[in-house]
Amino acid sequence: MIESGLEILASRYAYALMFVLMGIGLYMVIANENLVKKLIGVNLFQTAIFLFFIAVAYVEGGSAPIVPAESGEAVASPLPQVIVLTAIVVGIALTAVGLALVVRIYAEYGTLREDTLREVRADE
Amino acid sequence: MSDADSYGDTYTESQVIMTAVKIIAPFTMTYGLFLTFHGTDTPGGSFQGGTIVGVTVLMLAFAFGIESTRRWIRQSMIVGLVTGGVVIFAGTGVATMALGGGFLEYEAFVDRFGISHYWGMEAVEVGGVALIVSGIIVTLFFATAAGFTPVGDDADHHEMGVGNDD
Amino acid sequence: MSAIAYSLAVFVLLSAVATALFRDVLSAIVVFAAYSLGMAILYTYLLAPDVAMTEAAIGAGVTTILLLLTIARTTRPSAEEVFERVDVPAVVVVGAFVLVLATLLPDMYAVGTQDAPIWGQGVLSETPTVHYVQEAYAETHAHNAVSAVLASYRGFDTFGEAVVVFAAGIAVLLVLKREVFA
Repeated sequence: MIESGLEILASRYAYALMFVLMGIGLYMVIANENLVKKLIGVNLFQTAIFLFFIAVAYVEGGSAPIVPAESGEAVASPLPQVIVLTAIVVGIALTAVGLALVVRIYAEYGTLREDTLREVRADE
Repeated sequence: MSDADSYGDTYTESQVIMTAVKIIAPFTMTYGLFLTFHGTDTPGGSFQGGTIVGVTVLMLAFAFGIESTRRWIRQSMIVGLVTGGVVIFAGTGVATMALGGGFLEYEAFVDRFGISHYWGMEAVEVGGVALIVSGIIVTLFFATAAGFTPVGDDADHHEMGVGNDD
Repeated sequence: MSAIAYSLAVFVLLSAVATALFRDVLSAIVVFAAYSLGMAILYTYLLAPDVAMTEAAIGAGVTTILLLLTIARTTRPSAEEVFERVDVPAVVVVGAFVLVLATLLPDMYAVGTQDAPIWGQGVLSETPTVHYVQEAYAETHAHNAVSAVLASYRGFDTFGEAVVVFAAGIAVLLVLKREVFA
């Protein structure tokens, strides 16, 4: 039982890592009071998803997607890699929008802590 | 607040960093351009190359001061890069449509001008994506570095007085 | 299957945990940069050099710079303790989330196997992946299949992504009320 469990974990390590990283990212978004750390959490969650796509594209013993491949050699799938590639660039652009909002929130309220922000907004 | 204000002017000239950046910058620039122009044949491409070209500017800004780099890079250049990229990308797509193909269907170029499919891709990669990405990376950096300066008195919500940052 | 992948996975995991738990935001940002770099090396191992380059330049480079600039423009809370207090209810919720996901693990295909449907096994005979790998060079004359898919097969999608990046740049300028790009 334990042995087969370990075997599943060993052969699917990337997916297991993805689940745990998603959990950590979600934890940062929920539990950290600082808005900048929440954004780091969003980024972490995002990279976990990227890892899933890359792991799907991977071929054991293959090579990078340069075609035409040497005879009979397997290459990794280009399609998930393209999706991740563009998603990373869009991700940084959206993170920058989030950070700009953080800068504005600080200019308006003078704090980046969620609990303090909630109190300040309740007083208004 | 006073803490935040002092942060903006903490640029100190460091001989070590300036020399290091002077040595490295030509190489990162070349590497970025190599990835951009050679992206169809080797790993790399315009997203990576554009980012690395943009990061070279960021590196210069770190070494030589953000304000002086901002003055050195002209505003019109960045606007030209970013909007030019979008226009070239969209223009390539519209051109293929004008020649009777679908949007970005490069076969239309092959049929009409006899130029290879390959050059349509290069136009989109080098002329479109690379320009947009490098321009936006530089924009994001300078915008975040400039931060937000509240306009006039906070009481009135005039959005018009924005032009005071030059 | 190799020791490299496992040790990279452990490194990435540890730096992610450290990012979540460091109380000082500056430390968290620096550890997050290390995390991104570890992730980039893991992508290289998983045969995705294009993605690894992007992640190294953007995840470890630009994201870190933007985060650092943001705390320079706002505030960096002074911290007495090194680590954050662990929020127990959040850990319970997140733990339940991860456990639910983990029940899927035995049903997923092993990493790197070619039995997965993406490779045209089972009911699907020719998938996009199989087509791209076999025909991309003949159809586009590009050796790098990733570039071929990016600029040619999925050109419309890439156009959308590029415009999203453009729009995000405009949005940042709007939010910060600046009218100049640089």
